[in-house]
Amino acid sequence: MLAALSLLSLLLLSLAQITARNLFHNGLPIADTLSRYLVLYVAMLGAVIATEGDRHIKIDIATTLLPRLARFMHRPFQVLSGIACGLLSRAAWHFWREEWQYAATGQHWIALLEIILPLGFALLAVHFLILGLGRERRKSPR
Amino acid sequence: MTLLATLLLILAATLGMPLFVALGVGGLLATSMQHIDSAVLIVEMNRLATSPNLVAIPLFTLAGVTLAAGGAPQRLIRVFNAMFGWLPGGLAIVALTSCAFFTAFSGASGVTILALGGLLYPMLTGVGYRERFSLGLLTSSGSLGLLFPPSLPILLYAIVAGVSIDKLFLAALVPGVLLLIMLSGYSFHTGKGNKLPEQAFTWSALGRALREGVWDLLMPVGVVAGIISGTVTASEAAACTAAYVFLLEMVIHRNITRPRAVYRILRDTSVLVGSILIILGVAMGLTNLLIDAQVPMHLLSYLELHIDSPLQFLILLNLFLLVVGCMMDIFSAIVVVVPLLLPLATRYGIDPIHLGVIFLANLEIGYNTPPVGINLFIASQRFGKSIVTLFRASLPFLTLMLIWLLVITYIPVITLWWK
Repeated sequence: MLAALSLLSLLLLSLAQITARNLFHNGLPIADTLSRYLVLYVAMLGAVIATEGDRHIKIDIATTLLPRLARFMHRPFQVLSGIACGLLSRAAWHFWREEWQYAATGQHWIALLEIILPLGFALLAVHFLILGLGRERRKSPR
Repeated sequence: MTLLATLLLILAATLGMPLFVALGVGGLLATSMQHIDSAVLIVEMNRLATSPNLVAIPLFTLAGVTLAAGGAPQRLIRVFNAMFGWLPGGLAIVALTSCAFFTAFSGASGVTILALGGLLYPMLTGVGYRERFSLGLLTSSGSLGLLFPPSLPILLYAIVAGVSIDKLFLAALVPGVLLLIMLSGYSFHTGKGNKLPEQAFTWSALGRALREGVWDLLMPVGVVAGIISGTVTASEAAACTAAYVFLLEMVIHRNITRPRAVYRILRDTSVLVGSILIILGVAMGLTNLLIDAQVPMHLLSYLELHIDSPLQFLILLNLFLLVVGCMMDIFSAIVVVVPLLLPLATRYGIDPIHLGVIFLANLEIGYNTPPVGINLFIASQRFGKSIVTLFRASLPFLTLMLIWLLVITYIPVITLWWK
C-alpha cells in the first residue's frame, strides 16, 4: 500500500514539477530532492513486498540444476538474509543518526526522509525472519 | 580468507540466496575486515538519491507495466500486421517488430514472451510457419527491443556508468535497427522458401489499425525526440510517458478502469523497481570498497601483461560477457560488472558508450542461452516445451545475433556515427 502510494506521489510530484517549470518558469525548489527520495521509498518498500512474494532477483543457477538442494537451502537462506538485513539496518541506523546530528539548519527534513534506509532494512529483516522461521505457508499465487 | 568468503557468497547466490543479500554480506564482511564503519555502505546507497536520472527508472517501469496490463499487445500486433503482413514472411516480421517495440517499454523482464508470445504463437503456426521456427522466433524476440529507448537496461547502464542518457539512446538505435533488419531478412527468406500464403495489403485495414494504435506508436517517437533534442530530461520524459500511458489506457481505450487494477499496477511496479534498485544500492557500497582496494587496478595490471591491443581486449570482453549473460540477469550484471569493467575498457581506449552497447548486446544474447537464459524459462512455461527444444529452436536466431554482436563490437562507427 505504502509503496504504491509513494509511486503515485512520485508521478504526481514529477508532473507538478514539469508544469511549474514550464508555466511559471520556476520549479518547486524542494520537489527535485523530494522526488529523488521518493524513489528510495518506492525501492525499499517494493523490496519488502518482493520478499513477501519471493520475487527477489537471484542468480539461481542451481534451482534448475540442483532443484532439491536449492529447495533445502531455501529456509536457511531466508534466515541468513534476515540477519544480514538486520546488520544492514544497524549500519543504516548509525548512518542516519550522524546525518540527523550534523544536518545543516533547514536540511533536517532531508535527514528525516533518510529514515527509510534503516526502517526499510529493518522491515526486510523482519519479513525474511518470519518467512524463514515461521510455519510453512502455502504459496500465494502471484 | 577473503577468497574463501567470496567463493562461499558466490556459491550461496547460485543456490538461490537473493543477490542483494549476497552483495550486502560481502559489503559487511569487507568493512569489518578493513576495520571501517559499515555505515559507509549506507552512505553510498544514500548517494543513489542524488542521481538526477534515477526518477526515470520507476516512472518508465510504471509506463511499461501499465501498457502490458492494458491492451497494448493486441493494438501493436494489429498495426504492424497491417504494415508488414503482406510481405513474404510478413507475420514473422510482425512478431519481431511488435516484440521489439513492446520490450523497449516493458524493460526486457520477460513480459514480452508472456504478453505477446501467447498471441503470436497460434497466429504463426496457424498460417503454416513450422513450429520450430515459430518457437525460436518468439523465444529470441523476448529481449529484442532492449537497445531501443527508453528501455530500462539502457537507463540503468547510463546511471551506473555515468554516461549521458541521450547519447546512449542515440548510439544504441542503429545497432538495434540493424539486428531487427537481419532477423527480418531471415524471416523474409524463410517465408519465401516455405511458400507461405501472403495476405493482401489494404489501405483501409492499415487506417483502421492505425486509428487505434497510433497513440502507442507516437510514444517512443516523443520520448526519443524529447530527450535527444534536450527539451526534456530523461526523468521528465518518464513522467510524461507514465501519465500519457495512464491517459491512454484509462480514458481513450478504457482498458483499465477499476481502482483495484490501478493499485495492482502500482504495486507490481514497485516490486519490480524495488528488486532492481536494492541490488543497485547495496552493490554501490561494495563496488566502492573494491575500487578503494584498487581491485580494478590489480586486474588491469594483470591484463596488461597478457593483452596489448584493444582488439584482443574486445575479444576477451565478448567471451567474458557472454558467460556473464548466461549466468546473471541483465540488471544485476549491469550493476555488479559495469563499475569493475569501465576502468579497464577506458584504459584500452574503448568509448564508455560503445562499451555500453557491447555490454547490452552481449546480455541480450545471454537471455537465450542456458543455464540461466530467462527467455528460455519463460518461453518454456508459456509454450509448454522443454528448455532443450526451445534452445535448439532458437539456434538459427542465436547464430545471427552472434554475427551481429561481432559486427557492432568491431565496427565502432555503427554505434559512434554521431560523434
